[in-house]
Amino acid sequence: MTSRRQLLQLLSAVVGASAFGSHARAASSPWRLALPGYRYQFPRDHMAHPDFQTEWWYFTGNLRDQRDSDFGYELTFFRQARQVAPDARAAWQTGQLYLAHFALTDVAGGGFEHRERLNRPGPGLAGADASTGRVWNGNWQAQLTGDHDWRLQAVDAGFAIELDLRSAKQPVLHGENGIHQKASEAGRASHYISLTRLETAGTLTVRGRRMAVRGLSWMDHEFFTSQLGGNQVGWDWFSIQLDDGAELMIYRLRRRDGSIEPLSGGSYVHPDGRWERLRLEDFTLRTRGVWTSPRTGGVYPTAWDIGVPRLHLRLTAQPLLDHQELVSERRLGPSYWEGLMQYQGTRQGKSLSGKGYLELTGYAGDVDLSGQERGGLTR
Amino acid sequence: MLAVSKHYRSNGVDVPALRDFSHRFRAGEFVALVGRSGCGKTTLLNLAGAMDFPSQGEVWIGDACTSRLDDAGLTRLRRTRIGFIFQFFQLLPTLSVVENVELPLLLAAAPDPRAQALRSLEWVEMADFAQRMPHQLSGGQMQRVAIARALVHRPQLLLADEPIGNLDTTTGNLVLELLRRAASEQGATVLMATHSPESTSITDTIIRLRDGAVEDITQPACTV
Amino acid sequence: MHRLKLFHRVILRPMLAQPSRGLLTFVAVALGVAVVIAIDLAGFAAAGSFRSSMESLAGKASLELAGSTGIPEDTLGKLATLPIPVRFEPRVEEYITDEASGVVTSLIGIDLVAHAQRNLVLGDASGLEVLDHPRAAWVGAGLGRQPGDELRITIQDRSETLRVSGVFQEEGDQPGTNRVVVVDLPVAQALTGREGLLDRVEVEFPEDVDEAAVRAAVSAVLPAGVELRSFGARTDANRRMLGAFRWNLRILSGIALVVGAFLIYNTISVSVVRRRGEIGVLRALGVTRTGAQALFLAEAAAFGIAGGLAGAALGTLMARAAVDLLAATVNALYVTSTPGAVSLSAGHLAASLLLGLGVSLAAAFAPAREAGSIAPVEAMARGRRDYDVRVNAGRNALWGALLLATGAAFCWMPPVDGRPLFGYLATLLLILGTAMLLPLLITLLNAAAQRQVTRLFGVEGLLAARSLTGSLRRSAVLVGALSTAVAMMASVALMVGSFRQTVMVWMDNQIQADIYLRAAAPSSPDNYPPIHPDVAAALEALPEVAAVDRFRAVSLMLNGKPATLGFGDSQLMRTQGRTSFLPGQDRQAILTRLPTGPYVVVSEPFSQKHDARVGGTLQLPLPSGPMEVTILGIFNDYSNERGTVFGDAAVFAPRFPRQEITSLSVYLRDGVSLDAGRLAVEQATANRRVLVFTNRSLRAEAIRIFDQTFAITWALEAVAIFVAVMGMAGALVALVMDRRRELSLLRFLGASKPQIQRLIYFEAGLLGMLSNVVGLLLGFALALILIYVINRQSFGWTFQFHWPGALLLGALTLIYAATLASAWFPARVATRLNPIEVIHEE
Repeated sequence: MTSRRQLLQLLSAVVGASAFGSHARAASSPWRLALPGYRYQFPRDHMAHPDFQTEWWYFTGNLRDQRDSDFGYELTFFRQARQVAPDARAAWQTGQLYLAHFALTDVAGGGFEHRERLNRPGPGLAGADASTGRVWNGNWQAQLTGDHDWRLQAVDAGFAIELDLRSAKQPVLHGENGIHQKASEAGRASHYISLTRLETAGTLTVRGRRMAVRGLSWMDHEFFTSQLGGNQVGWDWFSIQLDDGAELMIYRLRRRDGSIEPLSGGSYVHPDGRWERLRLEDFTLRTRGVWTSPRTGGVYPTAWDIGVPRLHLRLTAQPLLDHQELVSERRLGPSYWEGLMQYQGTRQGKSLSGKGYLELTGYAGDVDLSGQERGGLTR
Repeated sequence: MLAVSKHYRSNGVDVPALRDFSHRFRAGEFVALVGRSGCGKTTLLNLAGAMDFPSQGEVWIGDACTSRLDDAGLTRLRRTRIGFIFQFFQLLPTLSVVENVELPLLLAAAPDPRAQALRSLEWVEMADFAQRMPHQLSGGQMQRVAIARALVHRPQLLLADEPIGNLDTTTGNLVLELLRRAASEQGATVLMATHSPESTSITDTIIRLRDGAVEDITQPACTV
Repeated sequence: MHRLKLFHRVILRPMLAQPSRGLLTFVAVALGVAVVIAIDLAGFAAAGSFRSSMESLAGKASLELAGSTGIPEDTLGKLATLPIPVRFEPRVEEYITDEASGVVTSLIGIDLVAHAQRNLVLGDASGLEVLDHPRAAWVGAGLGRQPGDELRITIQDRSETLRVSGVFQEEGDQPGTNRVVVVDLPVAQALTGREGLLDRVEVEFPEDVDEAAVRAAVSAVLPAGVELRSFGARTDANRRMLGAFRWNLRILSGIALVVGAFLIYNTISVSVVRRRGEIGVLRALGVTRTGAQALFLAEAAAFGIAGGLAGAALGTLMARAAVDLLAATVNALYVTSTPGAVSLSAGHLAASLLLGLGVSLAAAFAPAREAGSIAPVEAMARGRRDYDVRVNAGRNALWGALLLATGAAFCWMPPVDGRPLFGYLATLLLILGTAMLLPLLITLLNAAAQRQVTRLFGVEGLLAARSLTGSLRRSAVLVGALSTAVAMMASVALMVGSFRQTVMVWMDNQIQADIYLRAAAPSSPDNYPPIHPDVAAALEALPEVAAVDRFRAVSLMLNGKPATLGFGDSQLMRTQGRTSFLPGQDRQAILTRLPTGPYVVVSEPFSQKHDARVGGTLQLPLPSGPMEVTILGIFNDYSNERGTVFGDAAVFAPRFPRQEITSLSVYLRDGVSLDAGRLAVEQATANRRVLVFTNRSLRAEAIRIFDQTFAITWALEAVAIFVAVMGMAGALVALVMDRRRELSLLRFLGASKPQIQRLIYFEAGLLGMLSNVVGLLLGFALALILIYVINRQSFGWTFQFHWPGALLLGALTLIYAATLASAWFPARVATRLNPIEVIHEE
């Protein structure tokens, strides 16, 4: 989620503070707020929600080729609505902006690549089309192929993916019935849906080498209108897919004064698809090791001890590759770390392992998140 | 010439080239100026030839005083009354023999230059070479042509600067003889600078110069 | 070390003792080099810059898409989603004028939203202001604006105001040269009236991607009329086209250098001749033949290096002065030029040095060899051999005749790679051949004038004439230098004069309408800004107007070469105009047939460039798909060099998606005065930025452009003549110094000062006269080559030969006067000699 936060900040930078900051949210906002009582319906709710201002589709996954080499990928699509004067330039109008990220981790080869894209709909350059079930930005696209199944295709210089994702579980609605509260006020929240176990198969191309891969993917889909800018400086977010068929999602917001935002939390998804909500007091997080970025100087806590006493779960988190930092080449966004992780641990004394993603923001020190009136995902 | 002095400035110091030289040259007189290099011979010739002005004193050529004439006047004087002969002959290489000889007449815009030039060449016995170019002649022949050129306008004063300095004895004697005849037959005053003692034998007067001053004047002819 | 000391004593010290002579030679080399460098620099800035402006903001594209009238923007959506790792960069481009400064530049529309994610950062990154300000523009730093400024531009037939959001500088830009105006793509579409269209799409992909695969994938989604081609293909074609133009200019600029070479040759020869004795002594003291040779080559090299360096500096200054002139020419004949800054590169500096050095060494080769051949005994043989002439006039003349014959033969050779290589070789051979004939010519002339000279000009004339023959080599070189300059001037005068006369006659035929209109935005043969159709309708409605011809010109690529397709009302052209066709073609019949089918007529330069014949066919890449047309005739046209294909609007207009007009010809009703008509037209178009020309003012404008085009040519000629005349002055001073003994002797023999002065003037006069006569004859021959070989082969135009009598006479008189004037200083020097000192010095 933190990377989403970063993307949001990038978006808001692009769009300008006025369209984003909560203080600027006029009463006459044309967009809906994320309020309790929403009735989810699939596959409709996998598609775009233009009556909300911001929306993202977020795919990560761990893959393994036939030679048992590990790979990780991340493909995200963002939609951001803006208030614009209606004009004749329909094709190029900027009422909707689409941002996308595409990253690949090659554990054996020690490689990490990432790209980003920003487009307006233009003459078919980017969009989310419910009639065809397609979300795309140029030639990066996610195509809905079943109720909860997706087909991902993305091509860029040096790497590409072509993956079929089959969901083994029903969508998880985080928080209270999918309302993920960010602040105590009503509406300061997002709709947050996850597909936590997407069985994945397809091909991966890295520097001209094309290989068949299998693995597990995770999709997050959020849409919302109102966010609150706060005094957070960063975010630690874990997605964990355990080999016993369960998944765990944990996020923690760090405040400027060193304290942790009380609304931090997570979800635990049982192998049978049932899920339960975790609150801040339900888990412990302890840093085991750090990695210092040679490029930004950021000191990232990439190794962790995770405990969920209520579930008798203890895990250690170790990155499969140290340098999975997304360095912002442009001046449009901050740099952050987001990478493929290996999890090892026990539940009730029984050992288990898993894979997943970890996102760490606010460590590179080049952006003062809370100092900017840009809003974002806070509280 | 009356009490002529000539000083040159050299490196800011006045160097006297000629001191208080006074002499009256007669028509038809053949004078030899002898002395070492730098004794003032050439200076004297230049003063006499209206090529230069004395620092003090006056140079009279006939009824003309050089220091009272402007450049045009001096040029006129040279055209009508003075002829020059040089050690290195100084013929113009691009002109034929006869053209060289008629040059003073052409410059003076005198009438009928070609006929006079040929006459002058005949006089030095070079008429057969009239159409030759200078580089086709020997040294003696060249000097004879130079003499013809110097005499072509029948000057009153013939100035010869080391005329035989570049010639062998026989040829030199021939040239001396011509100068002698120029004095006697044409009545010209011949003033010859030389440093060869034998060349003085046929002159009327010998003026010996030393450091710009007259050492002595002898007139062998009179002594005889 | 040893050599250096020798060089210092024998060459440097005498040179320093007489600085004026060395100075003149140095200046000659410097000027010669400067002109070449200036033309190259200015040519690059003026002709090379259309690239920098058009290719601004270009990524590392290797392919591009283009259509002669645009690409439907839907294509972009299809392209963007192709599963290939390719970036598609859409662009809308238009030439505009910054109204405040009058600077012509490019308006480029790019997808600024997509660009926000790319390396290009337009100004401040804090916001894509484009999203909130529909008239936001980012301007190159060279335009001198600040964020927040208003930017008023002329675009097509309108004025528009943009708001400067940011100022940017591209990597690798020369400071101050980037004047591009960048706007968001839809803004550019709206400004140019090309909504829904893109002008170009740049196709960018990594090196390891197979280009053939990209081509296949892209081609599959392309609509008709859109061409996938190598990136910069048009720019390359333009550059090739301009290459020939610049090549011709370079050749012209070389004349001054050739004249300079003559002067170097002269200087070194004189240097050798004067120092024969010294060289003899040196040889006697053990300096080798090559050593003596090297000494003089080193002297030449010194001139070359010094001249080359100074030439580079001077050339840069001259280029700055010339660049606008050159840009005007490029604009008038080829493509829109937005000249860049002139700056001297290391390459140009090296080129200057090499040029200076090369020319100097080549020119000094013969005299240096002569120095090497001096025998030690010559140390003793000084004196009368000073001016010994060693020119074998007869043998030289034989060689000269051979060169002339070869040169004449070259005139029948075909062009090489579109360039009249043999034509230029022929001119060079003619110049060299004439130079070699000169000694004989001078000797003969002198012999013929033997008595007359003395009779007419007195003894001074005789002496002057003899002196010229006497130092044949020197005078031949001087006459060679000056006559070459005169010949080039005369030939160019003849060519340009003929060209101008031909164009005037052509215009009388061509310009038959009463009033002409075009959009005020920058226009050139590659770029025709449209006029709104309403203007034509408004004019037609005027009671004063009898008929309006809507003409449209489209720039397109044919066989990889840029050309113009124009179409209008061919029947108006038939009844009102007097367009002439090549001999043997029936104008009435051709024009009557033109609207009846896929027929065109082509201009003479087009037929030359594309090897097009009457009855042949052309494949025109139109938006509606390729169209095969038959050529009915070839017409005379001097409006542009790229070549024009003309057809009837009835045939071609329907094949273009939108109807545009690029110029209007208005025919007034009988009895309406031109002034009244013009007034009515101007009132009817008052709200538009259009240029209104009357028949006469259009002609005047055309001739003005014509003259402007050749201004640079004249400047080059002037420099060459200046170098030659200056060389003459220098040579005369040398002559005086070398002949001071002779001049002094003349004083002894009764020459007056005025006579000595007259002598020098006579020498200058004789040299000048000879040079003018020889130069005029040679110039006539060169003009024939220029007009019938070089122009034909490189431009494809036919001229009627015409003598610009007054111009030539004036120029020759001026040159002659300058030659005489150049004798003023030497004549003064001659009279200041002290004969006594000179005659006795040894």
